[in-house]
Amino acid sequence: MNDSDDTHHSPDQKVKDDQAAALIVAQVFIVFSGIYWFLQIESVRALLELAYG
Amino acid sequence: MSTAIFSNYSKTLITAAILLAALMFGYSDLLSTVYVGLEPVFMWSETTWFGYIGKNYGGIFAVIQAVHLLSMAVLGGAVIAGDGRVLGIVLRDVPVRTVVDRAHRIFVWALIVVVATGIFMACGVASKIYFLPVYWFKMLSLGAGTLFHFFIRRPLLRHDINQLNPIVVKMVAIASILVWFMVAATGRWIGFSG
Repeated sequence: MNDSDDTHHSPDQKVKDDQAAALIVAQVFIVFSGIYWFLQIESVRALLELAYG
Repeated sequence: MSTAIFSNYSKTLITAAILLAALMFGYSDLLSTVYVGLEPVFMWSETTWFGYIGKNYGGIFAVIQAVHLLSMAVLGGAVIAGDGRVLGIVLRDVPVRTVVDRAHRIFVWALIVVVATGIFMACGVASKIYFLPVYWFKMLSLGAGTLFHFFIRRPLLRHDINQLNPIVVKMVAIASILVWFMVAATGRWIGFSG
């Protein structure tokens, strides 16, 4: 195995890759959840306002 | 250079590409084509044995639903225990590795039961849930949560947790709790709809 392969598949590199992938997905989930639940709560609030003023 | 980046960050790049593809799918005409194409499958599922039993034997449906809800509670407990420990909120006197590994085992069994009982229940009310947007949000979050658990969270937490960036670890735990909360909440929502 050459040096390049050792670098590419080193445990440290694997950790960095796993962390970067996790960071991207976690950010997407947190932002999506925030927007989704904000819109749902807003819609319920608007409905309640229509019903009860 | 670009080959090195791809080689070093192959998982990150594939993950980003999948997220981008999912986003493009969500805003493309392909989504409505797939949605319309799935209607016959849902209508057919009501004619299967599962659909027949689900529609005509309320007692059996209720028992399966109870098992579904109990396994959902177990799954939620496993998520709260595992991610709560990662966040340092619960079970602080037990090593992270122990809690995460044991919670994972319980999570897998609970997920199998949730999916199996969920398929049975969906067959019984297929013509109703097909038209419920919240059902599709549940399927989206269930699929995303399952992929996230097995391909992102689990491989990440296999590493020595002290070696990982604490902010990333905490964000993963919060994202995990949020996605499974969404599965549970949208599931309950289906029960209240129609």
